[in-house]
Amino acid sequence: MEIKVLEKDDSNMRFLVKGVDVQYVNTLRRLMLAEVPCMAIDEVVVIENSSVLQDEFIAHRLGLIPLKTNLDEYNLPEECPCKSEFGCNLCRVTLTLDAEAKEGTRTIYSGELISENPEIVPVKENIPIMKLTKGQKLKLEAYARLGRGKKHAKWQPVSLCAYKYFPKIEILEKNCDNCGKCVEICPRKVLAKTDGKVEVRDLMACTLCQDCVEACPKNPPAIQVKWEKNSFIFNLESTGALPPERIVKEALKILDGQLKEIEKQIR
Amino acid sequence: MIIPVRCFTCGKLIADKWEEFSRRVKAGEDAGEVLDSLGIKRYCCRRMLLSHVEIIDEVLRFYEEAEKRREARGYY
Repeated sequence: MEIKVLEKDDSNMRFLVKGVDVQYVNTLRRLMLAEVPCMAIDEVVVIENSSVLQDEFIAHRLGLIPLKTNLDEYNLPEECPCKSEFGCNLCRVTLTLDAEAKEGTRTIYSGELISENPEIVPVKENIPIMKLTKGQKLKLEAYARLGRGKKHAKWQPVSLCAYKYFPKIEILEKNCDNCGKCVEICPRKVLAKTDGKVEVRDLMACTLCQDCVEACPKNPPAIQVKWEKNSFIFNLESTGALPPERIVKEALKILDGQLKEIEKQIR
Repeated sequence: MIIPVRCFTCGKLIADKWEEFSRRVKAGEDAGEVLDSLGIKRYCCRRMLLSHVEIIDEVLRFYEEAEKRREARGYY
């Protein structure tokens, strides 16, 4: 197996995986979506709410706010040694919000949530939670816990997690008369005409849509779009809860654990 | 009512971009270009901002009005 990182910043990652089966990459994808834990607000105690929206509505919005997660310090509630339904400070973080519109209408942002652990805070400070007019109040206590994407989408650490085959474009120079129809039709501008010759400009952008093959006036077509069987381009976009490389590492760790579990049970 | 926190389809955080988006579109910029510059690539996330109407502003007007009357009554 060979992995090459193509692009990476603090929330996106694109990497090339070579020499693995579809099954393996798909397992990885599914683990990232459903099994990698992250933090999200799970329970809300509303102390005062005189806003125009119901408690449930606000609780739902709070739940969807992605929180920066520290996986090393916190346990999943079901695996925590405290065995308590309510949770202890190893499996729960309390966030409080006390907002009032004293003069005129104002928006309450996620930055106003005060966390007991300064590391577990919303990823962005400017997410609108609620709008209040003069005299309205919102006071609540929220409990954030670790959870998994299979239980609720708010615990999914990724917003994009997909792979595609590595494209292989062949231009048969014998048949090609460089008419440029394939260059025009390509939605991703993969092909380009340089010095009157059709050439591949950006291979990675190809989506294997086969539009260029259909557009070719020659029969058989002078262009062929194929893919490499065991190479994949993996796209990952984190919600901000975890860095993308950590998500991949965590998914591999979970896969390892699950395989060990099977081995143990078979014996 | 109020801008959804995440995209309904993919789960990308979009609420933090709404205010900038609405301000710039109102100022006359092209919505598509604003979305591009905000880094919203997929059409599922783009429609979240494009098709959103902030109804809460309309609802809040009633409460603002009620508050004004309450104040006026207090003065007399």
